[in-house]
Amino acid sequence: MLKKCYGKAALIVLACLLLLVGCVSLTIGQIDVPFKSAAAVLMQQLGLPFLQDVSLSKEQLAVIWYIRLPRMLVGMLVGGALGISGAVMQGIFSNPLADPGLIGISAGAATGAVVAIAIGGTAGSMLAMPVFALCGSILAVCLTVFLAMRNGKIPVMTLLLAGVAVGMLLGAITSGILTFMNEQKLQQYLFWMVGGLDYRRWEHVYLAVGPVLVGIFIMLLLARHLNILVLGETEAKAVGMPVMQFRMGLLFVAAITTATSVCVSGNIGFVGLVIPHMMRMLLGPDHRILLPASALGGALFLVFCDCLGRVVVAPAEVRVGIMTAILGSPYFLYLLRKMQKSVF
Amino acid sequence: MSEAVIQVAQLKLGYGDRCVLKEASFSIGKGEIVGIIGCNGAGKSTLLKTIRGLLPKQGGSVSYFGKPLEEYQDKELATKIAYLQQHVELGFGYTGKDIVMAGRYPYMKWWERESDADERLALACMKYTGTADLADRPVNEVSGGQKQRILIAKVLAQQTPIIFLDEPTTGLDMVYQEEIFRFAKALAAQGKTVLMVVHELNLASKYCSRILLLGEGTLLADGTPQEVFTEKLLSRAYKADIKVEHDLVNGNLHISTRVSEAAKLRGAELLRQICGN
Repeated sequence: MLKKCYGKAALIVLACLLLLVGCVSLTIGQIDVPFKSAAAVLMQQLGLPFLQDVSLSKEQLAVIWYIRLPRMLVGMLVGGALGISGAVMQGIFSNPLADPGLIGISAGAATGAVVAIAIGGTAGSMLAMPVFALCGSILAVCLTVFLAMRNGKIPVMTLLLAGVAVGMLLGAITSGILTFMNEQKLQQYLFWMVGGLDYRRWEHVYLAVGPVLVGIFIMLLLARHLNILVLGETEAKAVGMPVMQFRMGLLFVAAITTATSVCVSGNIGFVGLVIPHMMRMLLGPDHRILLPASALGGALFLVFCDCLGRVVVAPAEVRVGIMTAILGSPYFLYLLRKMQKSVF
Repeated sequence: MSEAVIQVAQLKLGYGDRCVLKEASFSIGKGEIVGIIGCNGAGKSTLLKTIRGLLPKQGGSVSYFGKPLEEYQDKELATKIAYLQQHVELGFGYTGKDIVMAGRYPYMKWWERESDADERLALACMKYTGTADLADRPVNEVSGGQKQRILIAKVLAQQTPIIFLDEPTTGLDMVYQEEIFRFAKALAAQGKTVLMVVHELNLASKYCSRILLLGEGTLLADGTPQEVFTEKLLSRAYKADIKVEHDLVNGNLHISTRVSEAAKLRGAELLRQICGN
């Protein structure tokens, strides 16, 4: 009972912190906007009967509504998706070092993005790159699963090795295409590769919101089953779980959710690996608490890193993918050292 | 024999094309405690896994309560048979209670959560196996014996009429080994059917009501410990010289191996070479 209450209290604290960091992210940047003005923009745009009397400049309206709010929302969606998908992947593979990138998602997205740039799709629409990246990720996951399948079964180790092989193959294709690109296109690719939240617009929010929220909802719904799946295939079958269906279902949902987030933000490392670890250490391994905590923690971490990236070398910006790696790597190394004697 | 709970007919099993055991037929009734014995590689664990439906069979039939194994849904079968596997790797710091609660999984719809009644039952099972104080401790921090008792509590929490135990005493000291057999006997006394793979023949002869002896790729013998534990049958199954003594005071059997004089001499000569004497 105490454990349950502690878990729920931790989720409430995480949600409050996320709200707080979200508010801060609306106010900081090159143009200072007071919190009251930022809140007024939201109220007025949403047609809510509060703060209607606050006068706003066109610049403030544009900065909050068209730049910072979609940026923050994309950050929350991507961070939440990466955090929860990482926790699910670690559960499916019963491996604390598993990460959504393991089954070729990131490599597939990179190949999709580079194809979009190479064929000039990015000049036509800002959605071309995300859509190509999404298709690339899904194809990569399908290829990995197809290669790993034996007699209707997917052994975990084979799946991981197939993921590595597909990742290497797609990496080679990406590098091959890159060698034929001009400097401008290379820069475009590099910009996408170092994941970031800058220049994210409402279109990106619309693209990500559906798959990410549905994916998170399904994963939360299946959290209790993941607790059984983690005990191992034989143990799960012995208590009556159709292991193959649950493993494939969860893998597919986590893959789509991650692919959607990677396609709108580029490659952002460490969130899917570090956040589930951190939450597991703080709140224990029960996925009914761990999954929502990883989603909230991932969103919080990414928006926080984005805020930090905006102020740390102001007026210039450090992209969020770099910030997550800078903050995530030392923590990951600390975890590796601690792992020898801890709960993993 | 009482009403047949498990019926196995002409069972053939193995891995891929390799046949491990063939023409195994037996029937087990309610309240029996049956030990499966045989040398390493005889197919004891494979037999248990196959009749549980965890491995595909190569031929023959298996049925529970008169219904063929293939007609059972996953969850329905899990409400009939609880299975304790040989090696369980429990990572991620799950607590004793988390593990025992997993035994309630087959009784829940996919969207349901464990009820307070499930929690009370899990705690009762832990109390019975003497693990209640481990409820909130990570299982990977407890001893082998404690872990095994937690897993037995999980098996109990599954509330099934049939219990399969695959080498439940491996790696345990003699006190825990006998305790596991006592648990099995107590469960059988409650009307549960217990089928266990065992290596401790002396304990099996004391606690099991029936023995299935595997050897030479088939079911060599099926009967009471007194019928199966004969020097001839055991020596044939284990491909060794086995000595069976009857304790006239308590009626127990004492089983041990004999080494021939020629083998002793060979061994001594080799040891001298190894030790350089």
